[in-house]
Amino acid sequence: MSVLIEAKNLGKTFVDNSIRLGPKRAEVRAVDNVSFQIMKGETLAVVGESGCGKSTLGRLLLRLIEATEGHVSMDGKDLTNLSRQEMRQMRKNMQMVFQDPFGSLSPRRTVAQIISEPMDSFGMIRDKSHRRERVAELLELVGLPAIYMDRKPRQFSGGQRQRIGIARAISVHPSFIVADEPVSALDVSIQAQIINLMQDLQESEGFSILFISHDLAVVRHVADRVAVMYLGRIVEIGPKDQIYAAPHHPYTEALLSAAPHPDPTKEIERIVLQGDVPSPTDIPSGCAFRMRCPIAKDICSSDNPKSVEIMPGHQVACHFAAPHPITNAQRPT
Amino acid sequence: MSKPLLEIRDLNVSFGTKDKPLCVVNDVSFSINPGEAIGVVGESGSGKSMTALSILQLVPTPPARVTGQVYFDGKDLLQLSNSELTSIRGKEIGFIFQEPMSSLNPVMTIGDQIDEAIMLHTDLSADARRVKVLELLRLVGMPDPETRIDVYPDQFSGGMRQRVVIAIAMACNPKLLIADEPTTALDVTIQAQVLDMMLDIRKQYNSAIMLITHDLGVVAEFCERVIVMYAGHILEDADINSLFASPKHPYTQGLLKSVLTLTEKQHRLYQIQGSVPPPGTIKEGCPFRPRCPVRMDRCAVEMPPMKSYGPTHVAACWATAEGVE
Repeated sequence: MSVLIEAKNLGKTFVDNSIRLGPKRAEVRAVDNVSFQIMKGETLAVVGESGCGKSTLGRLLLRLIEATEGHVSMDGKDLTNLSRQEMRQMRKNMQMVFQDPFGSLSPRRTVAQIISEPMDSFGMIRDKSHRRERVAELLELVGLPAIYMDRKPRQFSGGQRQRIGIARAISVHPSFIVADEPVSALDVSIQAQIINLMQDLQESEGFSILFISHDLAVVRHVADRVAVMYLGRIVEIGPKDQIYAAPHHPYTEALLSAAPHPDPTKEIERIVLQGDVPSPTDIPSGCAFRMRCPIAKDICSSDNPKSVEIMPGHQVACHFAAPHPITNAQRPT
Repeated sequence: MSKPLLEIRDLNVSFGTKDKPLCVVNDVSFSINPGEAIGVVGESGSGKSMTALSILQLVPTPPARVTGQVYFDGKDLLQLSNSELTSIRGKEIGFIFQEPMSSLNPVMTIGDQIDEAIMLHTDLSADARRVKVLELLRLVGMPDPETRIDVYPDQFSGGMRQRVVIAIAMACNPKLLIADEPTTALDVTIQAQVLDMMLDIRKQYNSAIMLITHDLGVVAEFCERVIVMYAGHILEDADINSLFASPKHPYTQGLLKSVLTLTEKQHRLYQIQGSVPPPGTIKEGCPFRPRCPVRMDRCAVEMPPMKSYGPTHVAACWATAEGVE
């Protein structure tokens, strides 16, 4: 397997000039020194709570926002220093699926216009009949009847709109898709449809996915590898099965145990974290998780733990990284 | 069995005109016993929130038309006047809304907002009420309540605001607590905190709880009984173990099969075809029919009646009744 996307020491600090804290401007460290790779055809899931920087990370990879530090490369080509024109050529290979199927489709355009826009802007459409042909193909591919192409988004349900958003993303045959919470706005019965669709398409088209989600159950199903983020940092990254069976970071363990389990016969010992996620404008010194960590010691407030490889491909950033086998009830069967 | 605390009979809620009604709640009947935790599960548009809101006449009429009976302590809540209801809302029945951001008043301190409910329903002095407010803040796990009591909602995170909303709902020790998606807007670790806290409160106060949610995981951990709603109808009503072990309605079966868990590895997810019909599109027969894998001719004509499958398990399905699997 070869590397498709590589992020090296990627960082993003947002500066808010409108808020002044004395002489200091308000700074939000949204992504902090993040490095990882995504292989061809692989799904890497990024999980974390709101404000952990997972959406910012996705946008950084696509260079929808500019990084303040570090590099992103695709197929060995550094994207960070490309000119606008060069970047535009690369964009054909990278697409995005958004969370909100209501906000991400223009209400005034027809489905055909929405889906063909990326193809139009990369000159992949020859003429009118070719456009309709391609749109029809794409609609069939995502499980919608081709006769819907002249309708407007308001005539579709949330799940159908998400299918339209996916058709738009795959229209240019991208090799990389960032999917930002693609199913979290959908009902349970519709979630399954969209997840199946994305997996089928990935199998036939072979693209890689960065799957951003807060839902560990969804991630368990779609991901090959999982990265857990907390306050802008990746605290643990590794193969899915290892992360779910034996999380090594106390935050990963707490996240896994916090998810409600749809089985009344299983008693789960839940680790309930105290307190809230600190504000990203005021990240604690040392390990960002220490304020809520059940096993924090003195060293955690002075030294930010470095990411250490504990098993091939499995890295943890914790001074006291140790396997935390989760309770029997949650152990994968 | 003891007398139910709340009994809903043939509740119907509809919008639209007399000639073209849009029914969002159809012939809903169920009861809640004292101290019971009951979950109402359904997808968006299933009518679960509408059912809860109509219990306290919180659905504006007009435009809505609400018919049926809602008996609480022997009184039909739907027949009460607004002033009569005031003595029940917040005192006998507490309500927790989904949105912790918008259900608090931004220009009142949280202490005053909790106090409001106590002031309305008791004769306690201001000092005694403040003591009570502090007690409630401690109950919902608010750190440092003495300073937080005089703070405005914008200084709180989502989880903390939801704790305040719960403190308000619990202020008068209600017999019934209606919680409409109380943890949906919260992060997983905060959801765990709030659910834990609600379980503690339930143990202490022994209130009955009606928990509205779309999350089967939350229901499995919190409730004793589940009502499954779909397009305004109750399709299944069962105790929690029986429902998860042997769901009778094809919709419930599909929901349980398609739900993602942390443990099971499936290669392909089970999916229920199609989507929830918009209100008003299915006028006769079973609302789940267009998506149902075991539908029969009869389903198009007649809504199946509730059939019993054990002492605490009923479901409305023709196919299940005839033993089709």
